[in-house]
Amino acid sequence: MEHLKSFFKPKVAIVSLTSCEGCQFALLDLGTRFLDFAEKTEMVDFRLLEDEEDLGGKIDIGIVEGTPITEANVKTLMELRERSRFLVVLGNCAAMGGIPEMKNYQEGANTIKHVYKYVHGINNPEIREVDNFVKVDFTFPGCPITAEEFLKYMPMFLDACQPGNEAKIPEIPDQPVCVECKAKGNRCLLLDKKPCFGPMIQGGCDAVCPTSNMMCQGCRGIRPKGNVKAMRATLKTMMTDEEFENTTEIFGLRDDISEWESKLNSN
Amino acid sequence: MQIRINHIAKMEGHAGFMASVIKGDVKSAKLEVQEGIRLIEGVLVGRHYADMPIIAQRICGICPVVHNLTSIKSLEAAMGVQVTPETKKLRTVLELAQFIHSHALHLFFLSLADFLDMDNDIQLVKKYPEETKKAVRIREYGMEIVKVVGGRVVHPLTNEVGGFKKAPDAEALRKIVASSEEIMKDALDLGEFFRKIKIPEFSRVTEYVCLGNNSNYSIYDGDVISSRGLHIPVEKFESNFQELQKQNEVIKKVEHNGKSYMVGAIARVNLHKDKLSPKAQKYLESLGWSFPDFNPFHNILAQMTEVIHSIEESAKLISELLHADMNEVLTKPYEAKEGIGIAAVEAPRGTLYYHVEVDAKGYVKNVNIITPTAQFLANLEDDIADYIPGVLNLENKQRERKLRAFIRAYDPCISCAVH
Repeated sequence: MEHLKSFFKPKVAIVSLTSCEGCQFALLDLGTRFLDFAEKTEMVDFRLLEDEEDLGGKIDIGIVEGTPITEANVKTLMELRERSRFLVVLGNCAAMGGIPEMKNYQEGANTIKHVYKYVHGINNPEIREVDNFVKVDFTFPGCPITAEEFLKYMPMFLDACQPGNEAKIPEIPDQPVCVECKAKGNRCLLLDKKPCFGPMIQGGCDAVCPTSNMMCQGCRGIRPKGNVKAMRATLKTMMTDEEFENTTEIFGLRDDISEWESKLNSN
Repeated sequence: MQIRINHIAKMEGHAGFMASVIKGDVKSAKLEVQEGIRLIEGVLVGRHYADMPIIAQRICGICPVVHNLTSIKSLEAAMGVQVTPETKKLRTVLELAQFIHSHALHLFFLSLADFLDMDNDIQLVKKYPEETKKAVRIREYGMEIVKVVGGRVVHPLTNEVGGFKKAPDAEALRKIVASSEEIMKDALDLGEFFRKIKIPEFSRVTEYVCLGNNSNYSIYDGDVISSRGLHIPVEKFESNFQELQKQNEVIKKVEHNGKSYMVGAIARVNLHKDKLSPKAQKYLESLGWSFPDFNPFHNILAQMTEVIHSIEESAKLISELLHADMNEVLTKPYEAKEGIGIAAVEAPRGTLYYHVEVDAKGYVKNVNIITPTAQFLANLEDDIADYIPGVLNLENKQRERKLRAFIRAYDPCISCAVH
């Protein structure tokens, strides 16, 4: 009990911008393990579970999911950054633009005309990821996030918030999806000439897609040492450039790949 | 007088509420949607059909299974792809499992505190530890089925046009069936707990709409039926129901003959009560309702009834599948074809419709998605306009609490409704 008493409960807010809220559900789906985590914090805002109004003021960790689309979304995000010592983002939409970003690659302003008759008065900005608006301290990648990773890294933030402790931010080790995929005993899809982005993508997802016989589509982003050029060369015989590009649009990977390639060309 | 609630928590997506009352007359009552547009239908146009279920399921983090299933069904209808009875059965199991965990989340973690006058679930969990454990176990049971069959809970992976990429592990399925009796006990206990909760009295006659076929409690297929005698094939839905967009509104509400109508657990239980599983029928009888029942707060008890039904029914279907050749669920070769496909599946919150047009090369030409919340939103607003006079004399905070409880009992999913 003595230990518990001396543990400082950091103030935490979990908020969502426009999204499917799947990352928050991935947390809730942890069941009692999530409630145990919540117990170690002072949860000032988690609107999936509580009705009380967030009273504002400084907090230790702001956690945000989704894409800033409406003006209210942008305001929520800016305010959260302003209040938070650490800003942590959840998931592919916040980190890479996700599904909503697809319209950027398409007809842009025209995509809305497939959906609405009256487009006047509806916010339809170009999609920009959270880090275009505010400084991000840590990203839980994936669509949705891997809840186990949340349980692994969040306690490090709780520790960093303890009085006198160093404000150390954890790092997700650079390893491809393939490491966990092999460990699970899966047969490599690429060996069967089936496309998979696994080698260039940040692991930590338990290789959940290839384990279900589905190609990795890169929702966790290019890993620091990921080699796009080598990946493209491998995939040449399995998919056309157009198919490759279309697939990279699903999780907002396409702009990151362009960036990677332009850096390579400029070097 | 203006009644304004800035933000309704404990609900999927972002919305507030606004009503205007003049001399006791409710002039308007409206949910104010604060969700951004993701233009899912728009981004699907021009993409390969195989991407559609992957993208469309990301409309919703709580009911991805049904978006995935319905988009697949619509594509199969468009391209004339046949699937095996085993595939249909396994998809039905997935959807029943989705019912179990979505309903358990809503009725216990999102709605229950409203009827016990509590502000948050931390209080709820502390006061009712045993019930909490049961609700968590039931939810985990539903999630485990989705995980074993779908490969993951949020945004499952194995399902595709034509069947499954991978057959579920038989041993894991056997374990699920073995634990079903224990989970049923939890569900019946929790059902008993909910039966004793004081639910507000309120009633307004409306039209109930859901899928129906003659043989069972329709989840995966059926025609569109209603409490006013409508019976049409799913293909005729769009010509009988009107999807309307008003200026500045991001949700296209749906009407039937110019009127609002209701979908979801309360609609299904009213229309199909005789087709519920034996234990669910018994539970429903214990509630002592007279039918048709038009109290929207009863949606929570209807969801409880469906949790019991879904546990019983999914265990039965899994047992049948364990005696069949599981490899029959695997996708067989087929060819992409030009066509138009319309399909519907019952989502936890009501019937979900997909309309898709595919070109000869398998690229999507047009998509329309009509979600349950878009369908019942007008009904919610009509209901609440009728409900407000009864709570008008309450003190502000109390009244706001009642209105939040009312809206939440509907279990709206704003992310789905806007998509």
